[in-house]
Amino acid sequence: MLTAEQNDELTQVAAGTPMGELLRRYWYPIAFTRELEEFPVRPARLLGEDFAVFKTPRGRYGLLPEACPHRRASLTYGVVESDGLRCPYHGWMFGVDGSCLDQPAERDETNFRSRVSARAGFVQELGGLIWAYIGPAPAPELPRFDVFVMDGVRDIGWTDLPCNFVQIMENAVDPHHTEWLHGRFFEFMARHQGFDAPPSFGKKHVKVGFDAFEWGIIKRRVVEGASEEDDDWKIGHPLVFPYNMRVGGANIEQMQIRVPIDRTTTRFMLYTVHAPAGVEYPAQPQVPDYQIPVYDSHGRHRVDYVEGQDMMAWVTQGPITDRTVEHLGRSDIGVTMLRRMFKENMAAVARGEDPLGVVRLPHERIDLPCEKNKFDAGATFAIDFIDRASSRFSPQADALKKLHIKAHENRKAHKNGKAHDEGTADGKAAAG
Amino acid sequence: MSVAWSGAEARAGGDVHRGWFPADAEQHRRDAPRYCPACATALSLAEGGQGLTTEYWTGRDRVFVCYCGACGWSGDIVLADRVVGHEAAD
Repeated sequence: MLTAEQNDELTQVAAGTPMGELLRRYWYPIAFTRELEEFPVRPARLLGEDFAVFKTPRGRYGLLPEACPHRRASLTYGVVESDGLRCPYHGWMFGVDGSCLDQPAERDETNFRSRVSARAGFVQELGGLIWAYIGPAPAPELPRFDVFVMDGVRDIGWTDLPCNFVQIMENAVDPHHTEWLHGRFFEFMARHQGFDAPPSFGKKHVKVGFDAFEWGIIKRRVVEGASEEDDDWKIGHPLVFPYNMRVGGANIEQMQIRVPIDRTTTRFMLYTVHAPAGVEYPAQPQVPDYQIPVYDSHGRHRVDYVEGQDMMAWVTQGPITDRTVEHLGRSDIGVTMLRRMFKENMAAVARGEDPLGVVRLPHERIDLPCEKNKFDAGATFAIDFIDRASSRFSPQADALKKLHIKAHENRKAHKNGKAHDEGTADGKAAAG
Repeated sequence: MSVAWSGAEARAGGDVHRGWFPADAEQHRRDAPRYCPACATALSLAEGGQGLTTEYWTGRDRVFVCYCGACGWSGDIVLADRVVGHEAAD
C-alpha cells in the first residue's frame, strides 16, 4: 500500500518528474529494423513524447520530435534525404543531430536556421530492433544484452497494452503468481475450454528469494520436488532494471520488454531466441515480428496462453493501478523491493548520478544470469513453451518446434554415437 | 526538479472514493512512519519529503518498507500487536 502521492510519483513518465527523468537515462526499442527498411520514416511514441524515426539512404538513423519547429506539421510524413529529414509542409530540412540544414523559402544570410534546431534523440540498430535514447547527452552505451547478440533463431511477439508499465514490472518480481495464474487458472480454463495446460507451471512454490545485483533484481524460487541446487534457485532469472525481464529455459532465451510508450500505454515485447545446440540455424534476413492477441471476439481477454493470462492480470488492474487500496502480503516482498529500487534511482538521478544499469563503457556482450532447467520441467519445456505461450502465434511456430526436435534428436544421436565409440574403444583396450 | 502532480485526481487514488478499503488507506496515511529514523528528514511526499514507504501485512503485523531519499537509509518498521520471543534452547 502506498499513498496517492507515492503512487503518482512511481507511475509518471513525463519529463520533469523524478520517474520521467530516471526513465530518460535508458535506451528503448521504438521500431523494428524491418519497418524502416520497408519505409524510411515512421512515427514513434516514447515516454509520452511523439517522434519521427527515420533511416537515410546512407544508412544513418535519426529521431526528431514529430512536430516541425517551423509550423508544427508532422515530420512523420517527411521526405527522407541523404542528409536528414525534410518537412513535407515547407521543406525545412533537419539532420540526424537535429540541426536545421535548409529553409528553402528563407533568406540564407541570416542566422535563423541556427535558432530552430530540433531536439534530436540518439538512435542505434541492434538485433532487429531500432533503439532510441532521448535523455541528456552524452548518451550512454546501448547495452548489448546476451539475447540481442547471441546466435539462434529470433522471434518477436508484441502488443500494446492500456496500462502503466510499473504494474507489469511488479509482475516480474512476483514468482507466486506463476503457480496460480499459469497453473491452477490455466488448468481451470483448459478444463472448460478443452485444451491441455502444461503441468510444469503449476508447481507449488516452497521458497522465493530476491537479490539486488548490478542489472536489477534476481528472482529465485524453489518449487515442490526441486531444491536449492536446482537452476530456479541457484541461478534464477533477473528483472533487468528498469523495464525488462530476462527469462529462459530449455534452449529458449527471452527478454520480456515493457516499453513505457506513455503513462497508460506499454509496448510489451517478447524477444525470443531459440538456440538449441546440435543444429544449424537458418539464416534470418529479417527478424519476424507478429502481434499477439490480447482479446477474443467477445472483447474478453484471451487467457488460453501464458502471456495472455499475464496481460489479463496487468490490464485488469486498471490503467494505473490504485496502490492506495492494495493489500500486499509477505509474498509480495519482491514488489516492495522493486519500488524501493525505483525510488533509490530517482534519487540518484536527482543527485546527477547515473542510475542502475546505465552503461558507459563500450562492450561486446552482457551475459545475464538465467536458469536453463525451468521449473524442473526438463526437455518438455521447449515444446510447452511454443505450444502454450506467445510463440504459438509466430508465423514460424511449426518451424521452431521442428528445430528443437531436430536438435534434440541430433544431440541424442551424438551422445549415443559417442557412448558407442567409447564402448568400442573400451572393448579394444580390454582386448589389448 | 519539480514534481508534476496531476492534482486532485492523483491524490484521490480512485478506488478509495468508491468505498474500496477507505479505512485501510486512511490507516496507512496515519500510521506510516513520517520521518527517517536516521536523518529525521520527512519521508512523506505530502509533507515535502523524498522517501518511499510501502506497507505490507504479515499475519497481524503491518510492515512499512522505508527508504529515505535524503540520506539513503532503508529498512523495515513493523507495527506489531504482540512480540513473541523464541523458545530457549534445550
